[in-house]
Parts: sequence; C-alpha cells; structure tokens
Amino acid sequence: MTTDDVLLASNVSKSFPGVKALSDVSIRLARGSIHALLGENGAGKSTLIKIITGVYRPNSGTLTLDGAPLHFNGPRDAIAAGVGVVHQERNLIPRFSVGENIMLDRLGGGFLRPIDYDNVHAQAKDWLDLLGLDLDSRTTVSRLSVAKMQMVEIAKALSLRSRVLLLDEPSASLTPHETVALFALLKKLRNDGVTIVFVSHKLEEVQEICDTVTVLRDGRNACDSRSMSGLARQDLVRLMIGRSEQIPDWRTRDESHAAPVLELRDLATEFGHSGINLTLHKTEILGLYGLVGAGRTELAKCVLGLSRVTTGALLIDGQKAVIGSVAEALTRYRMGYVSEDRKQEGLILMHSVLDNTGITIWKRVAGKLGLLTDRAVRTVVAPLIEKLDVRTPSLRQIVANLSGGNQQKVSLVKWLAAGVRILIVDEPTVGIDIRTKAYIHELLRGISEEGTSILLITSDMPEMITLADRIAVMDGYRIKGAITNDRDYERMSREIMGLIHD
Amino acid sequence: MGALSRWLRSDWAGPLFIVVVGGGAIAVLRPSFLSPFNIEILLLAIATNTLIALSQMVIIGIGQMNLSVGGIGGLAAISFAGMMQIWGLPPMLAASAALAIGILCGILNGALVARTGISAFVITLATLSIFKGVNLGITRAQPFYGVPESVKAFGNTTFIHPVPWLILPTVLVAALVWYILNRQPFGRYMLAVGGNASAAELSGISVFAAIVRAHALSGFLAALAGVMLVARLGLGQPTIGDDWLILSFAAPMIGGVVLAGGHVSVVGTVLGVTIVAIITQALVLFEIDPFLVQVALGFLILWAVIINQIRAVRMQRSLRRIA
Repeated sequence: MTTDDVLLASNVSKSFPGVKALSDVSIRLARGSIHALLGENGAGKSTLIKIITGVYRPNSGTLTLDGAPLHFNGPRDAIAAGVGVVHQERNLIPRFSVGENIMLDRLGGGFLRPIDYDNVHAQAKDWLDLLGLDLDSRTTVSRLSVAKMQMVEIAKALSLRSRVLLLDEPSASLTPHETVALFALLKKLRNDGVTIVFVSHKLEEVQEICDTVTVLRDGRNACDSRSMSGLARQDLVRLMIGRSEQIPDWRTRDESHAAPVLELRDLATEFGHSGINLTLHKTEILGLYGLVGAGRTELAKCVLGLSRVTTGALLIDGQKAVIGSVAEALTRYRMGYVSEDRKQEGLILMHSVLDNTGITIWKRVAGKLGLLTDRAVRTVVAPLIEKLDVRTPSLRQIVANLSGGNQQKVSLVKWLAAGVRILIVDEPTVGIDIRTKAYIHELLRGISEEGTSILLITSDMPEMITLADRIAVMDGYRIKGAITNDRDYERMSREIMGLIHD
Repeated sequence: MGALSRWLRSDWAGPLFIVVVGGGAIAVLRPSFLSPFNIEILLLAIATNTLIALSQMVIIGIGQMNLSVGGIGGLAAISFAGMMQIWGLPPMLAASAALAIGILCGILNGALVARTGISAFVITLATLSIFKGVNLGITRAQPFYGVPESVKAFGNTTFIHPVPWLILPTVLVAALVWYILNRQPFGRYMLAVGGNASAAELSGISVFAAIVRAHALSGFLAALAGVMLVARLGLGQPTIGDDWLILSFAAPMIGGVVLAGGHVSVVGTVLGVTIVAIITQALVLFEIDPFLVQVALGFLILWAVIINQIRAVRMQRSLRRIA
C-alpha cells in the first residue's frame, strides 16, 4: 500500500443464502482520483458498494481508511468516517428546499427557538458555491431537474465532509449536456483531493473521466485496481464479459429455414429504437446480445405491448399484428415474457407456487360459472412442475421461500402452462448458482425443441453461446448485425465484440 | 416567477377562491348568511372541526393515516365530563387530564406503528375499536350531564359578538401547529420522514421519534376537539367522535395536503374546514335535505383529489421540460 491510498478493501467476501455475491474482492482507491468500478449486472458491484458504505458487513476481508481498520455498523458510521454515497435512487425530501435538504441533520433551533432559515440557507449556499452550482438554495427540490437533484445530493454528501464519494450510475438519467456539467464538477472535486468512485455502464464516459479502474466479474476481481492508461474500450469489455466457461457440447442447430413466427420490420419505438429488423423462426432460439443499457429489455416491452411502437411493422406468423397489452399478447398471440426482475415483475412472492403458476390459465380452466377450482389448475401445472423439477415441499408453499433458481423455474412453468408459442426470456439466470443455471439452459433448449420459439436476452456471453441458434447484437437501441452461432466461444465472442465496436 | 403567480400556485389559493366566491354568492342569494347568528354558528363549527382536521393532517404529513382520531376525541370528551361529574375536579384540571389521555393514546398509536412496522391503517383501526370500547365501558352509553355552568358558558358565549370564545383555543393551537411544522426541527423531521423516510434516516433523523411525536400531537389535537365539544354541547356525549372520520380526511385534502405524505398546509386545511362548514350552512339556508351534506362532502373530496392529481401530473410534466 502506498501513502496515496485512501480506502483499501482486501479480500472481501460476502454470501447471501444460496449465492456467493463476492469472493476475495479487493479494491484500492487513491487520494484525489476518479476510480471506475465496472462489471455486468450481477458481477457484485452493488454488493461491494454496500459494504464500503456500511450497509452490509462482509463475511471476511478487511477495510482500511488511511491505513486504519474500519468496522461499520451501519451507513451512519460510514458517513461519519467520511465515506459518502449518491445512490441511484434519489435520496432527497422532495417538498423541502435545497438548503434544508443539504443541512437536514443540522437545522439548529430548539424548543422555543425557531429554525434560523437565513443561517441554514447561508451555510447551504457555501456548499453550492464550492461546487460552482448556480442554484437558489430556497428552491423546492421537487422543482429541480434530475441532474440538479444529483448535484444537490453531491453537495449534501460533501457537506458531511466526505473524502470518498461513491456515485452509483450518476449519468444514467442525465442528458449529454448535464453529464458534461457533472464531469466538470467531478474533475474539480478530484483536483481538490476528493476520491471518487464512479459506477457506470457507459464505457465512453468511464474512459473520459476515470483515472483508475477495478473490474468485477461473477463476484471476483476480473482485474485488480489499476490505471486506466493503456486500456482500450475492447479491453474493458473483455474484462467485463470474460473468457469462456465450458460450453456444453450440443448439436449446432439452424432453424432459419423454419417458418418465421415473429418478425420485426423497420421497427421504431418510443424509447428511441430505430430500424429494428429481427426474425424469430419456429423452434428457434434467437439471442439478443448487448451490454446493459443497449435497449434490449425495452424492445421486449414494446413487442409485448407494454410500451408503444411508433413506426414499422410487427408480424406474427406473417400477419401484421398490433399488440395493445400483455393480456392481448398472451391470449391472442400466445406470447409470454419471463422478466429479468423476477421479484418485482415476474412473480407474486407472497402467493403460493400453485397461484403463481396458474395465474396465466385461470381464465381458461375456470368452470362453467367462472368457478375456479385448485384441482383444475393443479391438473395443468403439476406435471410441468414435476418436469421442470421445481424443488418445493408442496404447491401451497409461498414462492418467496424458494431459492432463486426455483423461483425462476416457477416463472417458466407459468408460461409453459399457458401454452405459449413465443417466449421472451430476459436474463434468465441472473443471481442463480451454476448448477441450476445449467439445468435452466437444458430446459430452455428442450422447450424450443418441443416447438416454442424463444427470444433470449442476456448479457452473459457463455449463456448466449450455449443457447442461441443465431445471435443478434444490439447497441445504442439499434441492431448492429446478426450471426449464426457455431458454438466456438473464441470466434463467437470476437465476432460479437466486433459488432458492438464497429 | 412573480409574486402573484407564486401566490396563485400556493396550495390554498384555490380553496380561498372557493371560500370567497362561494361565500359571496350565498350571501347575495340569502343575505341571512351574513347575519351575526349565522356567523356565530359557522365559527363554532370551524372551531372544533379545524382541530379534528389538523389532528388527521399531522398524520397524513408523515405519510400515514389515523382512523382513531374520533376514538381518541370521544374518550377525551367523556373523561373530561366524567372527571368533573364523578370526581368533582375543577374544569382546568379535568381538561388537562383529558388532553394528557389524548397524548397517551397518540403515543400508543405511534409506538405501535413505529415499532412493529405494521401499517398505521391497521394499528389505528384496532386502537379505534379499543378507545371506543373503553369509552362505552365507562359511560354505559349514557352521557355525563354534570358539566359545570362555567364550561357551558365558555362553549356557548361570544367574547366579541359574534365571535365565540371557542374560536380562541383553535386559533392559538393552529398557529402552534404551523410553528411546529415550519419552524421547529422536530416538526420538520416529521415532514422529512413523510417525504422520504429512508433519506431522512440516512440523514441521521430518528424515524421512530418523528412518528411517535406526530401521533402524540395528533392525539392532543383530537382530545382538545373532544373537550371543546363537551363545552359546546354542555354534556359528555359518548357518541362524540363517531362522525369525525370523513371530515378529518376531507378538509386536509380539500386544502391541498398530499396524501402520500411530506407536505401539509395548515392554512389550506383551515380553508378546507371552512368550505365544508359553508356548504353545510348553505344546504340549511336553501332548505335542502341536510342528509345531502354527506353526498356533497363526498363529491368535494373527489374533486379535491382529482385537482391534486392534475397538479402533480402537471408538475411532473413541467419538470420533464426543464430536464
């Protein structure tokens, strides 16, 4: 360790029930630097941030600040030690003024002594001026743009005398112009000796302002903390995506001669996709690869009728289709969607396995008077639950009590029970252990061989090369090209990266 | 933004407009609306109803709801009357004890909500039943009639004709609530918790203390309303508080209070109470079925929440334009 190191985390490990989120991760932050923390979803970035900011305690490993060991019992301890964080979600009181938000825990005033707002605003103004922010501290926060709110949060963190400032995807919701202003601010802070950790998926930005970098992959260091110099964008991508895991030795398939089931022609959407052309054939698994933020999930949501398609055509079985809602996608076109966010969007965690798997077929199996019996639902879902090997003590078990892998199987059963012909699967194995992951891969392959067409969205390169028959690559809300998967990891990953970077 | 447009955007510009225009229209059509007798009736209704509405407003401010406002008020009312009749306590002492009971009921609510993390809706539904049950157990559903003449006089005479004495405590307490919520750190912390509890906690604010204090304040306000109603009615009715619930939500909402929490308006709430009182009076003056008051109140609530919703959406939109 050099004297320039402010914060050092060594060999930090953290496990959650069923998942090892971090194993022996180290990060070294130098004084007065902007440090990039990179990794794909599930790589362990947010766990590491939560450990550094005192939200989680590591199972093993050490944290030191200026060489002294740190033991945080909560976020307050981290703030007191000078480690501040600006979270992705806004942490301001919307109806309070900018100044009051900055000074919230130091308002002064007492029983018969009113709060001296002139003093509060004067102090807040000092911090705003220090950041060069032209902002009236009496403005109500809810009237500010997202960018300004972010600046206020940075001012607040600094007013708590933070020497290490963590920014979790600060530019995710900013316009390019606002981003420029934010970066100018970060550079100024760095030159004043503040250490900044910058988490972002936008590699151009990372290259623009970061001095040093740590890349995480699958809960481990893909590289130790090092200087950014000499690292090109491809190098970063390679570190994030990683090398081959073993790709199962399955037969290469080519289903492109089969009838097209789902076609997108010159599609543009309200999210800003344009000129999207994709064809999914019967029994095919079409992969949609891209880095986080490429616009893949958003495209799926437009196909499902959750968001609007602006121009272009969507064809199902060669017929032009307009899908207005998910209900229509399911009942009319028999299309299903396994969400990447199974806890929020995919499952009703407090309901039983039976209710979660049956929800798509209640209407269909209800009796003459609309009467729904458990037996009717059970007849349909029980064989599927057995087939997918969902490990549950009974169908009455609440889904929240199952492991991540089994929850994901329940999501799949739900759509298989509905008899969908087209299944959009979004990041099916995030946060799932390797064995269950392999099993889910076999399941998806099996489903497709039985006649279901699958559109697979994943940022997991080995998963993509394991499953997809063809791979379309998306970047910046456009399709950059499509390749046929010959299951040679080296060649495929090189071609995919080539498409992202051309 | 000019002073006028800022003023027009404030929460209470709309309600104030309705009070002035509505009151003016009624006065033109029915001049007796402005008679001293009528104004006294109006002010008496506003005096107690304002406290009921503020009691709920404080809890809405922390992003919760208090279904037991009427339960606390009723219990305080019969305690006040009962202590004077049975124990012969002097009115001031009995009133203080009744207010203390209200504060304790509030602390119980707040501690249960903050400690268990169960929603305030459920907790206060349960305590409403408890408070009402204790009330009926003490009174056997019979009123306490032994209210001293001095108390009755306070509730039924005017100090400057036609302004009743009862309006005095209300004005003082409403000003106190405004002061707490706008100029006292613990009042600001309540609203901070209502606006964004996790952000408040990360700023070092005790969410537990803020919730308990808000409920204690709510209990105090409800109890004071109960005590004042005893003075006005001249007896300790066990049914006091039974019909407070709708009004307690209606007035703050009409006054622009955000149900999600974090933003309240004392002035808006007082105006909301005034609007409800004027409508009630108008129905009497125009000899419309008094039972329609409930229907009118219902429509008023719907109108108020829709207006609030439109304002919220508009604000979002104008923000997006800036962004």
